Amino acid sequence: MRTLILNGARPGERAIDAVHEVLVDELVRAGHEVNSYILRDIQIAPCMGDFGCWTRTPGVCVIDDAARRITADLMRSDVYILLTPVTFGGYSSELKKLLDRVICIVLPVFQQIDGETHHEPRYSRYPALVGLGVLPSADRDAERIFATLVRRNAVNFHAPRHTTIVIHVDENQEALYAGMEKLHTSMEMAV
Amino acid sequence: MNALLLIGSPKARRSTSEAVGTYLLDRLREQGVETDLLRILSMLRAEDGEERLRTAVRAADVVILASPLYVDSLPAPVIRAMEILAAAAVASAKQVPAATQRLTAIINNGFPEASQNGTALAICRRFAAEVGMEWVGGLALGGGGAIDGKPLDKAGSMARNVRRALDLTGEALAAGQHIPGEAVDLMAKPLMPTWLYTGIGSIGWWFQMRKRGTGGKLRDRPYEP
Repeated sequence: MRTLILNGARPGERAIDAVHEVLVDELVRAGHEVNSYILRDIQIAPCMGDFGCWTRTPGVCVIDDAARRITADLMRSDVYILLTPVTFGGYSSELKKLLDRVICIVLPVFQQIDGETHHEPRYSRYPALVGLGVLPSADRDAERIFATLVRRNAVNFHAPRHTTIVIHVDENQEALYAGMEKLHTSMEMAV
Repeated sequence: MNALLLIGSPKARRSTSEAVGTYLLDRLREQGVETDLLRILSMLRAEDGEERLRTAVRAADVVILASPLYVDSLPAPVIRAMEILAAAAVASAKQVPAATQRLTAIINNGFPEASQNGTALAICRRFAAEVGMEWVGGLALGGGGAIDGKPLDKAGSMARNVRRALDLTGEALAAGQHIPGEAVDLMAKPLMPTWLYTGIGSIGWWFQMRKRGTGGKLRDRPYEP
């Protein structure tokens, strides 16, 4: 299974990088072919909202930077993991700068899904989505917002399956491994 | 009283966020409120932009975020601005921004349903709580593509509920009140029937692609595995 990890940790967020390391080890041991991007180390321009990826260069963002390669990798994967500090209930700016640039994977035209309007799929298959949020401690409100966001992304990006996991980690290794166990169980259900 | 409008759209001009935000600023000025406007992406790109952003927010009694919805959330530069402001609040012994400051947000999206902005508004509410601002409610606008950055005064009868919602919001903010439920409901009303909006949208994409010489490539699959 090809698994893509998009790491949205900001500079200095060592706990999330520790989660990333454990995650890669565990996934490789489970037989996954893992590809990771540490997004804070990659220059990605902000989406300019001009819809050029739909009308000028259909399916490819008009900005020629690393987001193109990562989008191609995302579409080649079987599952992609959004690893992020839960930031005001959502994703960090480091993760979001990439996701804003990925809308080229859907079409501009609309369809109805469960009574709501969404963009039609561009491709016949899409990877499954795992939202992996990290918080220093439990926060029901933030976790509820995060789960809703991941679910809505799964609908808009046509993920055939999705799951949300929030683990509570600061620098505590035991908590980290407990979180990984939870992740394994959830991923088995999702993928 | 003074109000600061933060524009979350990356577009330099003709954004729906700016159209709704500046209409609200006009209403606030009529009520005697001093107003200021900053474009978030321009601030983040300027050499001293982060400091100017912090200073402007610190000085405002009311902060209004007007932003498009990007992938069910706020655009990355808006989240970055929030992270900068939250770091300033944590770093300062005195809460910055001050607890008496108020935050509201107007989120617009390209789908017909205003309800799709709910997650972005929840993120704004959480941001307010984490930096010690008072969240006074937010407005959700669907079908923003129909306004397409036109000044609301020139957007015709289609935008009458949007204008009325912002009139009520201006009165409430100037009086130190929360955004009234009537304004929330008016803003969420569809600008036109869903079938008409999506139909016009499809024709619009077709015309744009034809004009750009990409007609027939709408369904291209450049990343087909």
